[in-house]
Amino acid sequence: MRFSVYQVSRRGGREKNEDRMGYCYTRDSGLFALADGMGGHPEGEVASQLALQTLAALFQRDAKPVLKDPMRYLHDAIMAGHHQLIRYATEKALIDTPRTTVVACVLQGSAAYWAHCGDSRLYLVRGDKLVARTRDHSYSELQETLAQVVPIGERFNRNVLFTCLGSPGKPVVDTVGPLILQEGDRLLLCSDGLWGSVSDEEITAQLSQRTIADAVPELVEQALRNGGPKSDNVTVLAVEWESSEDESARGISTESLGEEVFASTIQASVGAGSGEPDELDEAEIERSIREINEAIQRSSRNAGPNKKS
Amino acid sequence: MSKPKPAPLPAGTVVGGYQVIKKLASGGFGVVYLAEDSDRRLIALKEYLPASLAERSPGELTPRVKPEKQPLYRLGLKSFFEEGRSLAQISHPSVVSVLNFFRENETVYMVMNYLQGDTLQDFIVTARDLKRDKVFRESTIRSLFDEILRGLRIVHQHKMLHLDIKPANIFITNDNKAVLLDFGAAREVLSKEGNFIRPMYTPGFAAPEMYRRDGTLGPWTDIYAIGACIYACMQGYPPNDAPQRIDKDRLGLSLSRLRNVYSDNLIEVTEWCMSLDPLSRPQSVFALQKELARETERRYTKLSFSERLKLQLENIKTGAKA
Repeated sequence: MRFSVYQVSRRGGREKNEDRMGYCYTRDSGLFALADGMGGHPEGEVASQLALQTLAALFQRDAKPVLKDPMRYLHDAIMAGHHQLIRYATEKALIDTPRTTVVACVLQGSAAYWAHCGDSRLYLVRGDKLVARTRDHSYSELQETLAQVVPIGERFNRNVLFTCLGSPGKPVVDTVGPLILQEGDRLLLCSDGLWGSVSDEEITAQLSQRTIADAVPELVEQALRNGGPKSDNVTVLAVEWESSEDESARGISTESLGEEVFASTIQASVGAGSGEPDELDEAEIERSIREINEAIQRSSRNAGPNKKS
Repeated sequence: MSKPKPAPLPAGTVVGGYQVIKKLASGGFGVVYLAEDSDRRLIALKEYLPASLAERSPGELTPRVKPEKQPLYRLGLKSFFEEGRSLAQISHPSVVSVLNFFRENETVYMVMNYLQGDTLQDFIVTARDLKRDKVFRESTIRSLFDEILRGLRIVHQHKMLHLDIKPANIFITNDNKAVLLDFGAAREVLSKEGNFIRPMYTPGFAAPEMYRRDGTLGPWTDIYAIGACIYACMQGYPPNDAPQRIDKDRLGLSLSRLRNVYSDNLIEVTEWCMSLDPLSRPQSVFALQKELARETERRYTKLSFSERLKLQLENIKTGAKA
């Protein structure tokens, strides 16, 4: 397998970045995923992190080095993420469950498979054409479809989802695949921070005209600009299939990997917050000491001559 | 057999340009030394040296940590950094200040103001042993906590909680200033066995939510501890711990012993701070400060006949002396 990948996540004007993204791969299979933790419920960033960790942990368990049934894996791993959230909320005795959207894509053999729940999207661009895009599980997209059949009076808020992970009802998971890929196909996963302020046409245009290493940062910048000072978190992960070697994005060739190798940008421990000690490395120690001394300088300067309490 | 404690640095050792004069104290997390900087000013030097994880023979400088204890050692280091980070952001006369932070001997050191004086705990013990009807005068208690609350307010403004406020962590300097000490316990803390318990609590001063895993901690948690400190300043002893109170709450009863000695208002404020339900306490330091600073005429209410009777019965039962 050969692909390039490029990912960017920005906080925008929000207090926290509750989006999470990442990818992992074996010699013959790759998983790309993105989750958008939901505001209005507790610990959105925990929700998105847990969903991704669950996907990655099950991918590592099942891809040896290929997934026997990618569609089934996607469905089951997303549902497992949902159950992790419920368990997390129960263990922590939270009144409300943390919630998240998720979109995940498996590239294996020469095919792509994907699944999503909520309004994080996948775009597949071939040449200058948008070949596929997920349909959001939001009332507004539902309405556009239904409007052909039944007229509905008022417009729904696009932010209102009728399903997500962590909700009391069973999540709706849509799975698609296999779709046979061609050399140079681009797949883009994004949170609503991108598509909420950048049109599908623009996303397609950027992906078809530029390398993903240029297109992704440009799209994210556009989204932040359009979103203004209160912009949502914007997270984009793009993959180019069988990309040419000179790509400046992170080109990955899995040919040389052994059967047992598993590489991941997603922390593998399931059950975040339950105390996996993360060790400090040398750089981290140096950085902490530097930061503390900077803080000392700052606060002693501020305290200067006009000390008042 | 228990493992020997790691040896402190010998007097005269120079670390990071500071010369050690003597060891002041040692705790689970490390050792505090009295030291002198290059201008011969006195400072307190705190060395990260968790007794359960590190070893050091007398005369050696660099502690040894067994490989299997490395992860915990590093984790503890993180908490040590946390304390440094917290204190570094604050510059307030009622909060101990950090002057420098550095790495040497393969461990880390925090340089702090050296304070001369005694802890509130020492004062309470001394005052209580005089066996007068009051431990401290009411005006002393009010002005002392006014000062402490100013410091605590700044701590909370920096989105931090102290979480181990108790008389032993309140320092009264020889020039009569109250200073909050020891933010090390604020987060994860090492137990003797080297396991992490979080957060550590002191019975009597820890709010009920500190005992519950995942209890929601907030400014109200520190406020409970403040209430318990005021209680200790009036009574001379710490209050019952929260689990005991949940089982059978005698707080009202023991506070009623103080009626007519301290004003109704001070007793009520104490009871308010120490409500078992976090939502029933003052929700911010500011709210509490306002109440404590209220200089209205102090009212004292004597115990009624039935109240005295109840108290006497209770005393007979518990064998306490009124």
